[in-house]
Amino acid sequence: MTMQDIRELPLIDLGVKKTRSICGYCGVGCAVDILSKDNRIIGIQPAMDGPANLGALCVKGQFAYDYVHHPDRLKKPLVRREDGKLHETTWEEAIQVAADGFHKVMKTYGREAIYGVASGRTPTEADYLMQKIYPRGLRHSQHR
Amino acid sequence: MTEAHPVAATRMKKALARGSKLIVADPRYIKLAELADLYLPLRVGTDVALLLGMAHVIVRENLIDHKFVAERTTGIEEYIEHVKQFTPEWASSITGVPAKDIESAAIMYGSADKASIYYTLGITEHICGVDNVQSLSNLALMTGHLGREGCGINPLRGQNNIQGAGDAGAAPSDYPGYQNVGKPENKEKFEKLYGRKLDAERGITKVTALDRCGDGIHAMLIDGENTLVSDPDREHTEHALKQLDHLVVIDIFLTETAEMADVVLPATAWGETDGTLVNTERRVQRVRAAVTPVGEAKPDWEILSMLANAMSIPGFEYDSPKEIFNELCSVTTIYAGIDWDMIDDGQYQWPVPYKGHPGTPRLHEDGFISGKGIFKVIGYRDPAEVVDDEYPVWLTTGRRLQTYHTRTQTGRSAGIEYLAPEEYLEVHPENVQKWGLTDGGWAKVTSRRGEVKIKVKATPRSPKGTVFASFSFAETPVNMLTGSGYDPNTHTAELKVCTVRVEPM
Repeated sequence: MTMQDIRELPLIDLGVKKTRSICGYCGVGCAVDILSKDNRIIGIQPAMDGPANLGALCVKGQFAYDYVHHPDRLKKPLVRREDGKLHETTWEEAIQVAADGFHKVMKTYGREAIYGVASGRTPTEADYLMQKIYPRGLRHSQHR
Repeated sequence: MTEAHPVAATRMKKALARGSKLIVADPRYIKLAELADLYLPLRVGTDVALLLGMAHVIVRENLIDHKFVAERTTGIEEYIEHVKQFTPEWASSITGVPAKDIESAAIMYGSADKASIYYTLGITEHICGVDNVQSLSNLALMTGHLGREGCGINPLRGQNNIQGAGDAGAAPSDYPGYQNVGKPENKEKFEKLYGRKLDAERGITKVTALDRCGDGIHAMLIDGENTLVSDPDREHTEHALKQLDHLVVIDIFLTETAEMADVVLPATAWGETDGTLVNTERRVQRVRAAVTPVGEAKPDWEILSMLANAMSIPGFEYDSPKEIFNELCSVTTIYAGIDWDMIDDGQYQWPVPYKGHPGTPRLHEDGFISGKGIFKVIGYRDPAEVVDDEYPVWLTTGRRLQTYHTRTQTGRSAGIEYLAPEEYLEVHPENVQKWGLTDGGWAKVTSRRGEVKIKVKATPRSPKGTVFASFSFAETPVNMLTGSGYDPNTHTAELKVCTVRVEPM
């Protein structure tokens, strides 16, 4: 039996879900299977048929996934209040404060005074929307 | 490559096992150099000189692909005249690489039937990044090493979706699909599509925007980037962000940058998000959610839509990433032949100009998009900073295998924390002794912009007179030191070269 045969054996049903995805680190774009159970990621397997990686995966792609469930994850929106500190709030308030701040700056200084920084880490859809919000103002894709 | 693109490096190692030859040009004796047939230890920032010397030899040895040059390029005569003055001996005097090795490299590359060039940020993060890339392009054009299998110039993208970000229009010069902002017909097209007036001018780069904070730029929206730690010259970046009236950050953790924000919006992480990523081969692939988001975190596309709606910008009534991706496909030619339902197996590499097109694994097979390949006449110039009595040591920065960027993610993964818990400065063993340092001891590194305390590691991977560190650790903010200069075209910082002083502590 090859490693590939072993990997393709049906999992004994321990409630483990397999989701095909792409590693989120570098630009090589290795295909992976995310193993999850009870709504937690419990492992990553390289996809043997991944077009870019052909079954290979590096130390980051294989093991650096537990940040997803790290207690430091932001769980609620934060706004800075009069005490100068960030406080948890509702989405409704946070979006309103964010939008009001941009409106105020645009009113005082003009449309070109606001700037957006898109990410080379988010899915393409986020980058597309960022440039749609700022069809001129943006724009940076961090060249890495 | 074994550090920053390890899996791509495995493909290269397989090619070596099949008999391919490898030339490695790198100031540091990196892992890949151990496998090379020829290793060229050039001084940091002297790539143009090395490549001019190689071009000189290719001309001298008549290794020019005359058929390719005649059919597909323009400007060779002037270029040949130009490189005649740059002998390998001249190149050696600048780069420190022995002239005979420059000759061997030129002959090996020039006489190969198929040869390809791979590079990453060691080429682009210089004040002459564009010159470096065009120098590589000159070599590929003169030898006809383009548009065929096993050839080409292959930049390896460092982030999972830098390619997709550029494709989607996240650069100052282009609308989605590299449609130039300066062309009136493009402006008209996107005004019609987006239902509002757009500016005709190109945007500004982040470097310029940070320079103008408080003077022209007064509010920023930063999505998924720890700008404060990842950008050069940290003090300058921090000062700039503090000048803003309003800063909104979207991220998965309270990064150093998010801590400065007025509003922080929690995004879903990898493994919680559906969407598309585009890899360095222009392969459009699907990421999928395996678990539900933590707390109230939302995907970036939803956050940006909510924000746009609250700002009364029309056209943001999206219910799914599928709708957004399909809209992107419909407004570009490079994605025109694909949609969300067609990319499940990642089988398409753009351009896919129409439905039924198989995609384009190799560019430039039948011609260049812009017409003829143009030889660029380029001269060598020194880096922004050159070693002197006060700052006598070269510092070059980069990445390590186990950590990623500013460790927002890998710093919160237990196994990685065990493998790579701290940063260290790589110093040649002779320099360790000469400078009064101790292996494993502490050193103070000072540049014109700041100073950093860092542990010393004696290693012959660093050449004498040059030290190396990654910028990944917030505790060891190496980007306090960098930021000596920027490429005038791209505003990419010269993160690969600055000069420092190294002292024991």
